[in-house]
Amino acid sequence: MTQKNIETAVEVKNITKSYPGVTANDSVDFKVLKGEIHALVGENGAGKSTLVKILYGIEQPDSGEIFINDKSVEINKVDKAIELGIGMVHQEFHLVPSFTAAENIGLGQEPRNSRGFIDWDKLNSEVSNIAKKYGLDVDPKLRMIDASVGIQQRTEILKTLYRNANILILDEPTAVLTPQETDELFEVIRSLVDEGKTVIFITHKLREVMEISDRVTVMRDGKVQGVSDTKNTSPEELAKLMVGREVFMQVEKEKAKPTEKVLEVKNLWVHDARGLLAVKNFSLDVHKGEIVGIAGVDGNGQTELVEALSGLRPTSKGEVIFDGKNIESFSPRKRRRAGLAHVPEDRANTGLNLKLDIWENLVGTSYFRSPLSKGGIISMKNVVDHSNNLREKFDIRTPGVFVRTGSLSGGNQQKVVIARELSEDPLLTIASQPTRGVDIGNIEAIHKQLIEIRDSGKAVLLVSAELDEVMSVADRVAVIYEGEIVEWVNPKDVDQQQMGLYMAGIKD
Amino acid sequence: MEKFSFKDVLILFAGTIITIGIAWVLLTVTGFVPREIGKLFFEGAVVGQRNILNTLNIATPYILTSIATVVSFRVGMFNIGINGSMYIGGLYAAWAGYKFTSLGHIPHVSLCIAIAIITGSLWMLLPALLKVYAGVSEIISTIILNFVAVLFVSYMANGPFRADPIAPATPRILETAELKQYFPNSQFNSGFFIAVIIAFLTYFILKKTTFGYELRSGGDGLVGFYPSRYSSYLGIPSDRSAITGMLISGGLGGLAGGIEILGNARYFYQELLFNQGFDGILIAIVGKLEPIGGLIASLFWSALRNGGLFVDYKTEVSREIVVILLSILIFFVSAQKLVSSLERFKFVRKLDAFFTRKIK
Repeated sequence: MTQKNIETAVEVKNITKSYPGVTANDSVDFKVLKGEIHALVGENGAGKSTLVKILYGIEQPDSGEIFINDKSVEINKVDKAIELGIGMVHQEFHLVPSFTAAENIGLGQEPRNSRGFIDWDKLNSEVSNIAKKYGLDVDPKLRMIDASVGIQQRTEILKTLYRNANILILDEPTAVLTPQETDELFEVIRSLVDEGKTVIFITHKLREVMEISDRVTVMRDGKVQGVSDTKNTSPEELAKLMVGREVFMQVEKEKAKPTEKVLEVKNLWVHDARGLLAVKNFSLDVHKGEIVGIAGVDGNGQTELVEALSGLRPTSKGEVIFDGKNIESFSPRKRRRAGLAHVPEDRANTGLNLKLDIWENLVGTSYFRSPLSKGGIISMKNVVDHSNNLREKFDIRTPGVFVRTGSLSGGNQQKVVIARELSEDPLLTIASQPTRGVDIGNIEAIHKQLIEIRDSGKAVLLVSAELDEVMSVADRVAVIYEGEIVEWVNPKDVDQQQMGLYMAGIKD
Repeated sequence: MEKFSFKDVLILFAGTIITIGIAWVLLTVTGFVPREIGKLFFEGAVVGQRNILNTLNIATPYILTSIATVVSFRVGMFNIGINGSMYIGGLYAAWAGYKFTSLGHIPHVSLCIAIAIITGSLWMLLPALLKVYAGVSEIISTIILNFVAVLFVSYMANGPFRADPIAPATPRILETAELKQYFPNSQFNSGFFIAVIIAFLTYFILKKTTFGYELRSGGDGLVGFYPSRYSSYLGIPSDRSAITGMLISGGLGGLAGGIEILGNARYFYQELLFNQGFDGILIAIVGKLEPIGGLIASLFWSALRNGGLFVDYKTEVSREIVVILLSILIFFVSAQKLVSSLERFKFVRKLDAFFTRKIK
């Protein structure tokens, strides 16, 4: 289908963009044919986002040329990109929650009636028509506050279509979706292409690249590493291009040898910040020597459960027994001292203070102890030695430990959190979304670390919305839906489709 | 913390040049010879024993109030009530200065300073508690308390503490309570040394002690981020840090007021005007919220001010022109967008990368 069409929709030649100390795009050539689904893959910091930001007019290149439909253009602001028919769906949605789908879609371009007021009926019917044309099932009158993530994403896509976008850039669109929703999104993408649109699909999930794209461009360190037809390549080859070395896609591990119980959660009830029940009658055991996984779509009580276990949120009912002690009244610090480590899902605001230096974040759980400090005075020498040890052991890529943590890449920030939490040699590590926003090479390292903890006879509770991750790393998996366990599964005995149903709360 | 970069230096330099340019135009338009005024300005700021001593003396309260700002901001609290603490600390230092009659010099001065710190600190207790337990923005409560402080000290100087039958003022403090003035031609006094010691002490406490780490763990930025989840996630009681930070901040404000009374004014009168608590916020930002940065910025600021006073004293040029120029300079220094927009220029990026590497 696409091979017949040789016209180019987007072509950038020799684009270079540098920030202080980094060259984000280094002489990048990138070409997207009209009517194709083009996957743009690469690790975090590879330069994908910079490239599409340049295309969408958010950033200006230092040098290089852009051609849209074979015409040389200068895209100096977002309006210009929209005018050229480029639409972008960002990873984080830009929607007004209290507005309906149609109000969000028409925002800024509302049709007017003869008296100059907004013609709501016209807007609603226009939105319905576009939605029908591309198979995007969205009720124009549904308020976004009541819409599922999938619907919100479709609304974002409709927003670009309403502005007559012909070239759609989707930035990591599947990160927030269940497997079923992902399948539906792929249907939509195919129908968009059938209608003559061009799609640039940014992702780091290679399975999706293989499934949906026609061609794929791989970036690393700001440079294009390779371009090929998807059918002529393989996930292993793409991973190698992305990381620059051989990557083992399958997590290697022995069978778990669970021993005594370390965590026992009995009939736990937890309320969320708005006072609604988030965790209902939740029970689970974790043993030394095993990794217990909790799978589920984001927002089904995982956050509240983990916060309750780590002492950040009060429980309403039920018991949490850790290492034989009821820890309900324990502060986070006391829980840590008892051997409970916590890698939180919100790395930027909870797990780290990005304004502090790296060493300051690395000693967050140990600064008050000798030899790092004596009599309340921090021993800089010992602290720096300690930090440099962790930096080496956990391969934190930084020019030094006196660097602001916020200047590190997401993957390296996460390594700081993990290094700090594991430095205490905990009995149980609760890891919540430990690889979110982390690149492939580092994901591999983090998974290895979790399995190493297990093999050293300690326990791990892994909470993740990333299905592949839970299924490949955990030994036993509980699927959570609306705060309750739907089903316990053995990752070896269940397929993606079945898991998808469990994650949607459907049992058998 | 934001770290100093070459861009900041460049902006400061460019800002100074532009400010001088504007001054040149303003002076020429108003009929003066800019070169001569400039020379006087420079002389007043840093030339000769008397001018240098005066510059240092003016710097004392700025050093303390800027460090008070640094402490509160880095805990994550946006304290703009330091000026209020200054008034309260000043008033009670004066009261202790005349009230305790049978003490030796060192005990009496120490007592007065302690009382200034404690009263200035307690003044910040209410906003801190309101913030932590009722969620009242400390910005609003401290602004209001600034007004309350002015009215309160005015009442006290005119009422309970009034001694002078003609002017509403407290009695003069006793000689045992005075901070020593070393030179006959300047009011420069030992308060300056206290301020410098406090600057280094604050640096040490914030950066090198576990107590300082706990204080900063919840904040450490320009804007009030309290409560940050990072500190509660580590099990550091962030509420306690926020209250402690506010109390220290208020205490330093009180100390600034106390030193003004014990070292310079020697009694508290109704028309006494403090505004160093507000300028301290600007100075702290110029000093990038570092205690030593605050110290250096205070000295710079005082030099400019003293130069301005000297020009005002020697010529017909209005003192306000100096305030205008200072404001323009501050505008440049704090214009972060301007700083980052410099990245557009390739040579700036290169130099920045070069200097960053050098520092590491």
